[in-house]
Amino acid sequence: MFALLETVHALGLLSCFALLGTSRIGACIRWLSFQGILFGLVPLIVHQGGLGWRAALLAGGNIALKGIGFPLLLLRLRARAETNREVEPFVSFVMSILFGIFALGLSVWLTSELKPALHQAPFVMLDSSIFLILVGLFLIISRRNALMQVIGYLVLENGIFVFGVITVVGTPLLVELGVLLDAFVGVFVMGIAIYHINREFGSIEVDRLSALKG
Amino acid sequence: MAAFASVISPVCALVLGPLLLALINRTKAFVAGRRGPPLLQPYFDIAKYLRRGAVYGDATSWVFRLGPVVNLTVLFAALLIVPWGAIRSPLSFSGDLIVVAGLLAVGRFAIVLAALDTGSSFEGMGASREVHFAALAEPALLLALAVLARVTGALSLTPIYQGITASAWVAALPTLALAAMTLLVLALVENSRIPVDDPTTHLELTMIHEVMVLDHSGPDLGYIHYAAALKLWILGGLLVGLVMPLRSGALWLDGSAMLLGMAILAVVIGMIESAMARYRLVHVPQFIVGAATLSVVGFILILV
Amino acid sequence: MLAEQSILLMLAVAVAGAALCLSLPRPRQVLTTIVAVSAVEMAFAINIWAAVLAGPGSVTAAEQWFYIDAFSAFHIVVLVLVFLLSSAFAGVYFTSEAAHGFMISVARRFGALWLGSLAAMLLVLMSNNLGIMWVGMEATTLLSAFLISLYPTRLSLEAMWKYLIICSIGIAFAFMGTLLAAASIQSGGIVEADALLWTHLASPEAHLDPILMKFAFVFVLVGYGTKAGLAPIHSWLPDAHSQAPAPVSAMFSGFLLNTALYCVMRFVPPAQHALGPNFANGLLIVFGTLSILVAAGFIVFQRDAKRLLAYHSVEHMGIITLGYGLGPLGAFAALFHTLNHSVCKSLAFFAVGRLGQRFGSHEMHTISGALRADHLWGIALLVSLLALIGVAPFSIFMSEYQLLRAAAGTGAWLALALFLIASGVVFVSALRHLIDMAFGDPKAHEPPAREGKLAVPIVVLAVGLLLVLGLWMPLSLSQAIASAAAVLAG
Repeated sequence: MFALLETVHALGLLSCFALLGTSRIGACIRWLSFQGILFGLVPLIVHQGGLGWRAALLAGGNIALKGIGFPLLLLRLRARAETNREVEPFVSFVMSILFGIFALGLSVWLTSELKPALHQAPFVMLDSSIFLILVGLFLIISRRNALMQVIGYLVLENGIFVFGVITVVGTPLLVELGVLLDAFVGVFVMGIAIYHINREFGSIEVDRLSALKG
Repeated sequence: MAAFASVISPVCALVLGPLLLALINRTKAFVAGRRGPPLLQPYFDIAKYLRRGAVYGDATSWVFRLGPVVNLTVLFAALLIVPWGAIRSPLSFSGDLIVVAGLLAVGRFAIVLAALDTGSSFEGMGASREVHFAALAEPALLLALAVLARVTGALSLTPIYQGITASAWVAALPTLALAAMTLLVLALVENSRIPVDDPTTHLELTMIHEVMVLDHSGPDLGYIHYAAALKLWILGGLLVGLVMPLRSGALWLDGSAMLLGMAILAVVIGMIESAMARYRLVHVPQFIVGAATLSVVGFILILV
Repeated sequence: MLAEQSILLMLAVAVAGAALCLSLPRPRQVLTTIVAVSAVEMAFAINIWAAVLAGPGSVTAAEQWFYIDAFSAFHIVVLVLVFLLSSAFAGVYFTSEAAHGFMISVARRFGALWLGSLAAMLLVLMSNNLGIMWVGMEATTLLSAFLISLYPTRLSLEAMWKYLIICSIGIAFAFMGTLLAAASIQSGGIVEADALLWTHLASPEAHLDPILMKFAFVFVLVGYGTKAGLAPIHSWLPDAHSQAPAPVSAMFSGFLLNTALYCVMRFVPPAQHALGPNFANGLLIVFGTLSILVAAGFIVFQRDAKRLLAYHSVEHMGIITLGYGLGPLGAFAALFHTLNHSVCKSLAFFAVGRLGQRFGSHEMHTISGALRADHLWGIALLVSLLALIGVAPFSIFMSEYQLLRAAAGTGAWLALALFLIASGVVFVSALRHLIDMAFGDPKAHEPPAREGKLAVPIVVLAVGLLLVLGLWMPLSLSQAIASAAAVLAG
């Protein structure tokens, strides 16, 4: 189980760095899909002891939504908005990758701080979740393309999902489903918002949304 | 016997180095549906250059003449230190991995100086690009070697490569895989292959390495071509030695495994060159920093 | 009628009303429906409130999924009151919306989202499970986002996008905090079948891990605090409030912010059990004071009336947060202030919304001489803004005064001094704006349009509440607020 988690960890880090350093939005969406499937598998690995229908349902729902559903939705939006690549973001791609290295260090440090209190959570997954959260936040802040901000939000969601899976065992199914539903509706709403923004502004670069100040 | 074993790796490099280039060219030709040049073409080329006389511009000084010689010399020196997979190198001492990186840097420095010495704007541009990318590639190389040192717990290249066994791969799979990816990227970057640079390009504006050596001729050009082959051999050897964790102890077995590995590497590079287009110059730093990042991630993974 | 059934019926009525709005043929019917639904909800809310206060202090339903104590019952009543006022005002506002018109498609969308938001907020206030509470909170964000851009103009889309992104991040943080809180109960020894139940988490017997609880509370405060408009993470708030249609702004300011703060406060008793009283209270005082100061700074330079009111919301959310941080006496003042602020801010947005329609802009220099140009809404603007800045006979003055006493009683002198300075700044700068708006030369020359039937009752009710509560506090209300404050003390 540990070797498997380590592989997931390494691949997850890789996908994050790919997201930080890639300018093509289509490629980013495919990496996001890969990441969704990868971390969707975590419940199956962690709850190996009792591989119940709940873990399977959780994993299946996640893979279906984050691995397939959202990427398809985003690809459709991209086709409609006709942007293929992101023009240089607020923070350049090289600097983004360097931020990734910094965030990785930070997440390792935070994980070692938190680990004593969360002794049943595997170290590599805790590290993954914190790293995903940091990278997601960074993508939202540093990118000017609305689609990339949604991608950042989903990376953040992935991180929180992993955190939830490894730390909390006694969550009722209803809550988990509610959370998934919210993520679904959230992305849907953001999709509609992007559609409107594209129609009104003729672009989905959010630095054009700068009329309201003070 | 030990003395014989230790000279195998430099001798193989000196003899077979240019063959690697030929193999890459043959692969590309095959993919493109051509027959391609004969396998011994690089040897013919080098021999031809060595027979010719050299032409030196009026503006050049001794720095220009010294460049190719220094470059070739330091690569000879590096060959003495770098092991070839399981086969040990003649020289081995603590910290020699930094010396190897330093020697490669000295060679590049000499070529860059020679390029600047011509006073031509094209050469200067190539030199500037070369140094720009090298500044990013060198930390990446050191990081990748540091990961290997950390995994094996050794501080010298020969023991490090002795320590990369199948069991080491099992114990640190993600880390070693990431380091290997870094080394593959570096093999492409350092040897001016696609997608970073195109060794067959004919337009000065798009060149990086080739534009630096435009003014060299005769034996100097021969030295440069030979040095390029050796460099590819060195970095290829580092990569193949990492991904081919066969440490049987039997010389002929390890040696032929490495030979096979080098051939496969040449084919892989040929495939990459056929399948990919050259990156735009602004994206190359991204590519190299990404490669370095892989090693950093690997390093952190092994620390965790 | 039984309180348990009321809980379920309240949710059902709101959802059914939302569905009904989607199928109505005329805009006027939609507007009537939302008022009717709000009125029915009011009856349910008062019924529940009475049951909670009369009975053992709490009502549970659906096998502990729903749990209402005095704290949540008080919030539910304020919520429904704000909704009732705003729904009635929506009728007045949209029937005279000349600039964009009020097509049936817009009306249906508005009605469904409006009642949907009501249902989501009720879910937040009623649920015992902190996970479901989070789900409800996220649902309010998603539903209300489209209320901001009911008319998709460039500015409203910009405001909506900022609202969506910033609040989604905030909500994600809050979820992280919720998870950490649930994890803290497990590593404390007891493996609960359901660690997310507030009744388990807040009971003194729960052994909570202090480190995790500390992280959890910080995450929750920052996360829900984003939604509550606490500085320095309030940046979405002025944009959203200024671009939304006036009834929506009133609902946002009047209660959505309080819902988020309610969520934060639900985590205070567990944090106090695990970490002692000082940690949570200290953070609340710091965030509250900071919000008051930041808002005061921005209020000085505002030119747009709705943005001015938005920054007033930041200030008042800061005051309420500060009050919660000051112990039981402060919590009493904070709860009283919640009621006053909700009523007052709704009235202010109504007035600015209607006057904005008449003068054609929300810029303060175009709204001039409101008192003479439009008697009803001019008076509403004058009273609500005077009350907002804390002028004496109105109830906000009373709650702020109680808060000062609480601050003095607990020895929070620094917070007290900063609060007074900021209030002074707000008073002077807002008064300057107000005098021009209310007493300047009227620029609108055509006679006032015919108001809807409900306009006068809305203003009379709101002004009356502010005035009466400022002069006389009924004993039953004071007892109700005291028992709500007691919930927070654990």
